[in-house]
Amino acid sequence: MNFSRYLIRRLGYSIFVLIGLSILVFMIARLVPGDPARAALGPRASEEAVEQLRSRLHLDQPIYVQYFYWLKSLFQGDLGESLFTRRPVIEDIKEFLPATLELAIFAGILMAFFGILFGVISARYSNTWVDNLIRVFAYLGIATPAFVVAIILLLIFGMYFEVFPTIGRLSAWIDAPPKITGLLTIDSLLTGNFAAFFDALKHLLLPAISLSLGGLFQEARITRSSMIENSKKDYTYSMRAYGVPERVVISKYLFKPSIIPTISILGLDFASLMGNAFLVELLFNWPGLSRYGINVMLRKDVEAIVAVIMVLGVVFTVVNIIVDIIVAYLDPRIRLVEKGE
Amino acid sequence: MRIPIKLKFFLVTLVMVLIAMVGLAFADSQKIVRFTEAWPTYIDPAVAADFSSSVSVVNLYDTLVFPTYEGEVVPHLAESWEISEDALNYIFHLRKGVKFHDGTELTAQDVVFSINRLLTIGQGYSYIFEPVIDKVEALDDYTVSFTLQEPFGPFLYALVRLYILNEDLVLSRIEDTGEYGDLGDYGKRWLLTHDAGSGPYMVEEMRVEEYLHANQFPDYWKEVDPDAPLEFRFIGTTETATVRTLIRRRELEISDFRQPAEFYQNVAKEEGVKIAKMFGGSTLYCMMHTQKPPTDDIHFRKALAYAVDYDAIANQIFPGARQSKGPVSSILPGHKSDIFQYKRDLDKALGELKQSKYYDQLDEYPIDLIWCAEVPDEEKVALLLQANAAEIGIKVNVVKTPWMKIIEEVATPDSTSHLYLIFVSPHYAEAGSMIQSKYHSSSCGTWEQTEWLEDAELDRMIEQAIATVNKEERFAQYYAIQDYIVDLCPSLFLIDQPENYAYQDYYIDWVAAERAEQGERVNPVMGYNHYMLDVKVYPEKRDELLKK
Repeated sequence: MNFSRYLIRRLGYSIFVLIGLSILVFMIARLVPGDPARAALGPRASEEAVEQLRSRLHLDQPIYVQYFYWLKSLFQGDLGESLFTRRPVIEDIKEFLPATLELAIFAGILMAFFGILFGVISARYSNTWVDNLIRVFAYLGIATPAFVVAIILLLIFGMYFEVFPTIGRLSAWIDAPPKITGLLTIDSLLTGNFAAFFDALKHLLLPAISLSLGGLFQEARITRSSMIENSKKDYTYSMRAYGVPERVVISKYLFKPSIIPTISILGLDFASLMGNAFLVELLFNWPGLSRYGINVMLRKDVEAIVAVIMVLGVVFTVVNIIVDIIVAYLDPRIRLVEKGE
Repeated sequence: MRIPIKLKFFLVTLVMVLIAMVGLAFADSQKIVRFTEAWPTYIDPAVAADFSSSVSVVNLYDTLVFPTYEGEVVPHLAESWEISEDALNYIFHLRKGVKFHDGTELTAQDVVFSINRLLTIGQGYSYIFEPVIDKVEALDDYTVSFTLQEPFGPFLYALVRLYILNEDLVLSRIEDTGEYGDLGDYGKRWLLTHDAGSGPYMVEEMRVEEYLHANQFPDYWKEVDPDAPLEFRFIGTTETATVRTLIRRRELEISDFRQPAEFYQNVAKEEGVKIAKMFGGSTLYCMMHTQKPPTDDIHFRKALAYAVDYDAIANQIFPGARQSKGPVSSILPGHKSDIFQYKRDLDKALGELKQSKYYDQLDEYPIDLIWCAEVPDEEKVALLLQANAAEIGIKVNVVKTPWMKIIEEVATPDSTSHLYLIFVSPHYAEAGSMIQSKYHSSSCGTWEQTEWLEDAELDRMIEQAIATVNKEERFAQYYAIQDYIVDLCPSLFLIDQPENYAYQDYYIDWVAAERAEQGERVNPVMGYNHYMLDVKVYPEKRDELLKK
């Protein structure tokens, strides 16, 4: 089997997973106690208004009929209406997804870059004070929840030193760049608005660090142990025996195979960031999808709940496929197995 | 061990980039007032009904009459009015030359459009007008007539919830795909993030879940103090660490009132920051099911009322609160100030319990006490009530229940539990609002009345009082009703809860906060204490604080 067929097969599986996920989430969202229409309009809204909304959302129909309507709308690009924001869910997703995506990408970059860097340094200087220091920070970083890190950073850099902005994505006095991708840093660069770029970057820093710290040190530990393990393998000894300089051994022969497990975990961590960013988004008043997701869940906003989880499901699936491609690129054995060689 | 030169270079570059980013920070010194509140906020007057929405529409729209801090209403868009002898017809004479934010003039037809839109959509504050209004007509450009179905004494007070929209602008923004026939969506989509008002502020930008930013309307018809804020920004967060940080950085002028006691203690230590304690009409009740054994027995209910440690709730669980005086918040006009108040007295509690038909079978009648999972402080009250009840031999099961489930549970008498801890606020600034929404049979099955009182005599008294136009007579009837309810003891009247706000006293003057500090009444109509024209801001004083 060649690699492209393998990928097509993976995509096929993913579609089945997403259909299963949609059925599950659709059922759970609707079986939780409470009338979404009444909750949305409040206890004093007229019964006619509530009935009208129930009918519009098909809540007065059996659940399988509701699912059919949802599926039909989905193929028309309509994800229903949010009872929380009172506008089409697709608009909410368009508005909130880029904010979370930007945060997750930035956190992911920090996670990948510093995670691998610390891992390599730690392995290179294993059992020295540098390694020990990184390991201590790694334990702290992994054990401390992101929201605790967020509060600490907020207090230190937001309250006591007042060096970084604490809420939102852009300062009030900065003109926002026109929306192209929805990612402020990218849009401001594309339009040459550097003031907005640096301001957006400043706003990103604290939430992204908070969010990335756990994963970053997880990646550092995996990279370290993987490098140390590989450095004891025969081919590494051979390279050293041939007199290949240590710098070349590390960068050319150790680094590539050692980051394969890191990349696998990195993919999962990145996808998790999207869903787990809730408290960080809340603390930094970041208008993201994760915070929106929790808000709609608390209000039993059925259409929005399903949409948010499906979007996160798609992100998870796509990231996993990308990780598979990268890992296959890095590890020829996987490509060969898929080709049947 | 040597650190490679490339790594050193990288670390130095990283530090320099960070320093450069920090250096870009600068302070703004605008005449702005920023406050935090919980999201969602709906700025469409036909949808707005909760606190943050009310605060927003109060500043974006005008009403025919305006509520004062003393609990009265004064002319606003309406310069004068006449009431027919049978109190069924109100004719309002509108102020001429009032401009909407797009520059067009506000006329009587806009008033007609606004009330019709509110009643058709059936959300927001429509419930106040829906049972009352028969028809509304524009007699000419500046005269509008309201005909009522039956006399409604507090009608003028209720009109502070009728916000006037620009008909032409709204109609030009309707989307065809709505549920209102030819009127499409009645402009609901557009009004989610825009305004069509004539109020002192107009929407500059609204970002859902993030903020609402509004600028002062330069052509406002009323004289505006030069120190009134030129902008206000409502920030959609109530996160304690965030709010605390913003206050310290002087990037927030007024906090929300949803913060824990520790927040207010800490933030009050900041230079120039004060805490304003305002009683806004919110009251915590423990509602008792009057049709379900054993709380159907009046002596059983009174036994509980005498067993409760009110002081502990008011002083320890909700510091700054005060024990409620009867079924109506003491801030509301029409509240009976010398009403009988239940006090903790275990002898009296036991005396009442012995008169109850369930006294010998208490073990067979444990009662469930429901507290709302989304309000953690209610758990402390529930546990205290459980302990108090145990002192006289009543077994109480404390049950944490999500709000959505409470709404569903209380829909029928059979599914309603014995006791519910619930905060209730008035819908308009009069005792009648709370009496009607809490104790009239029409509210049974909603979270505002889990008592299932269904008392025909009480219904008659409430309806009669509400229909009385003469204020003194109406209030006299309210007093009698409050006595009647206290005697029935359908609820434990626990506390009047204050709204605590941290605010930048050094560089803003906030009328409501100053009144609260002097022990005077604040505006009893939800949202009006945040009327931005009643705030003055001095940016130069803010700069002084920032330089220290």
